[in-house]
Amino acid sequence: MTIRRRSGQEPDLFLCTRDNKKNLFGQTEGKEGMNLKKLLIRILAVALLLGTVYATSPVEIDAFSSRDIARGATGDDVIELQARLQYISFYNGKIDGKFGYGTYWALRNFQEKYGLPIDGIAGSQTKKKLTSASSYDEKFVMDNLKKGNQFTHYGGTPLASQVKKGGGGKENMHLPSKYSEEDLKLMANAVYGEARGEPYEGQVAVAAVILNRVEHPDFPDTVSGVIFQPLAFTAVADGQIWLEPNERAKEAVLDALNGWDPSENSIYYFNPITATSKWIWSRPQVKKIGLHIFCH
Amino acid sequence: MTMKKMMFVLAYALVVVSVFAFSKATENNKLAILLSNQYAQQMADASDKMGELDSAVKQTLLFNHSEGSKKAREDIWRLSSDIRRSVASLPLDTAFSTSWMNYLGRIGNYAREADRSPDSEEYYKVMSQASKNLGVMQDDWRLATAGLIDGQYSMDEWNNRLNASNPDVDWSNLGSSIKQYTETDFPLTASESDAMKKRELKDIDEAKVTQAEAVERFKTIFPQVSNDVVGVEMSKPGSPYPFFHIRFADGESIGYIDITEKGGHILSYLSERPFGKSSVAFEDLKMTAEEFLKAAGYKDLVYEESRENNTAWHFVFVRKEPFYDAKVFSDVIHLKLAKDTGDIIGLDASEYIRKEKLHRQSIKKIDWKEFFHQDVQIVEDELAYVENERLEQRLAHYLKVTRDEHGHTGTYNVIIDTETLEVIKTEKLE
Repeated sequence: MTIRRRSGQEPDLFLCTRDNKKNLFGQTEGKEGMNLKKLLIRILAVALLLGTVYATSPVEIDAFSSRDIARGATGDDVIELQARLQYISFYNGKIDGKFGYGTYWALRNFQEKYGLPIDGIAGSQTKKKLTSASSYDEKFVMDNLKKGNQFTHYGGTPLASQVKKGGGGKENMHLPSKYSEEDLKLMANAVYGEARGEPYEGQVAVAAVILNRVEHPDFPDTVSGVIFQPLAFTAVADGQIWLEPNERAKEAVLDALNGWDPSENSIYYFNPITATSKWIWSRPQVKKIGLHIFCH
Repeated sequence: MTMKKMMFVLAYALVVVSVFAFSKATENNKLAILLSNQYAQQMADASDKMGELDSAVKQTLLFNHSEGSKKAREDIWRLSSDIRRSVASLPLDTAFSTSWMNYLGRIGNYAREADRSPDSEEYYKVMSQASKNLGVMQDDWRLATAGLIDGQYSMDEWNNRLNASNPDVDWSNLGSSIKQYTETDFPLTASESDAMKKRELKDIDEAKVTQAEAVERFKTIFPQVSNDVVGVEMSKPGSPYPFFHIRFADGESIGYIDITEKGGHILSYLSERPFGKSSVAFEDLKMTAEEFLKAAGYKDLVYEESRENNTAWHFVFVRKEPFYDAKVFSDVIHLKLAKDTGDIIGLDASEYIRKEKLHRQSIKKIDWKEFFHQDVQIVEDELAYVENERLEQRLAHYLKVTRDEHGHTGTYNVIIDTETLEVIKTEKLE
């Protein structure tokens, strides 16, 4: 293999011209011996280069996303984390993609057992170790989550025998501990039924009114009690509460559950165009959002 | 021939429609009767329990010491909760039912809290009056609900009766009289009045800002979305505290911000826009949040927790008071950060600006090994100010504990008053 020197250029470090009688180390050789040495040097150089690239590049784990996964996180990489921890029996909770305390303690126990720094965060080192120590059947897990089945992902037991139909499912939302997924679903139905044509702020405000009632001594003290109180919400009376809510309504409820209250502590709201009750006009009015007037 | 066929088809269709309409009407009628029966049963149940409640109240008046009346007081709490639930599930006039709910909640709580009050004379005075009023209220209740209990009215008739411009029962008067009984029998406590003042921002006595100054504050804090303010309105006259409601539509972002007139404080802000798929790392988002808070002048906050959702992370920061280095859980700021760009798309500081008045409090020594069962591990222990059931801010041990629950590790927050050692709250963490 010969390469012509480009005019005006010094020879490349690893390449020699046909005319050279000495190799890079100053030794004179025959043509075949020289070619063999050149080849060896090149292989060595390429290996050295690849080694350097490998040593300095970020660790590739072949699984998970690249981010560190910590308490509060939600998503597919949390599903994988839970499934892998369950595969080696560190996690026996529900695989739901929400990194709560159950996942946190399981991860810490794994880190302790495998001599890793114990911080309850799935960083690159922990993920690498977990990937090598466990197995993850992504198709099995994702299919069952999609179908809403109850399932586990323990190693050593056939996966097919770890599935029960129904009662499962995943919601990519992480709620404050005092609220449940049922609260979120019911409120999203109520918000969609009552205010789907309203601005986003108005939808958050309707959700906040429900929560303000739960806290108020004049009303029932549960989300379902407030929503289904007779004559309280039009959407309950006319059945619109059972329409399938969209993502926007869910997001609005989520903001209210997380502390937003654009209604400023209101416990009532009404549409002045359609309201039939005279009494509602006697309430102190706070603010108008879209078509709704919010009041105390 | 064709005419005959047509007549036959029409007659047949008429018969089918008539049968269908008849069966639907029968079904609806059955459902209405079923619902009416359920309501009648709930009303009758509530009426019976009101009698039992009156009797339990009277029984507690027989004793000088709270120990003697303990069972009857527990009955008051249980019965008042049961009746509350019944009232909540009945189709009653709103003013009437809310007044009842409030009264029942108050009588139940008063009976339950009597153990704390060393003054038995006070209890006797309050409950004697309550017992007298309860008798009158029971009569009003029977009068108001008679039509449905004895089957005089169908559901439609009952609803028409509620919405009538001249109803035969003066609901509004009945509601007002119950409200009056509530105010005389169970007036607001000092801490309840304080809580109300705080909620109504009565404690803020800073100078008023103008509309232009409020908009300027918005532009300073959120320059990325404040180029196009589409409307500024003052809150309505019924609001206990005036505020500016500013709406914006800047590029793809649409939202609002509420700023108080007194002091120009931000109450809340939310921005809505389409979200991209990219994701900013959590640590970067947290740093953005902390830097934003400092720049906006919220300097006494510490990070408490965060939750990831579809398009955003919700962060919670709490105020830290310097004397005990204790977190104040009633003074929080919520932030919402977009996952795709890291922008601040939500802020709620309404609780933070209602700053709590805190008092010094002694800290009693406590042996946790004796306090908790032996299988409970304390994993975090810090001091915090927390509101108790009587709406008082109390210094508390804010503990995070774990316990093995059949192979699961159960995690709990346990909050214990440092002075009285009362367990203010126990909460399971998921």
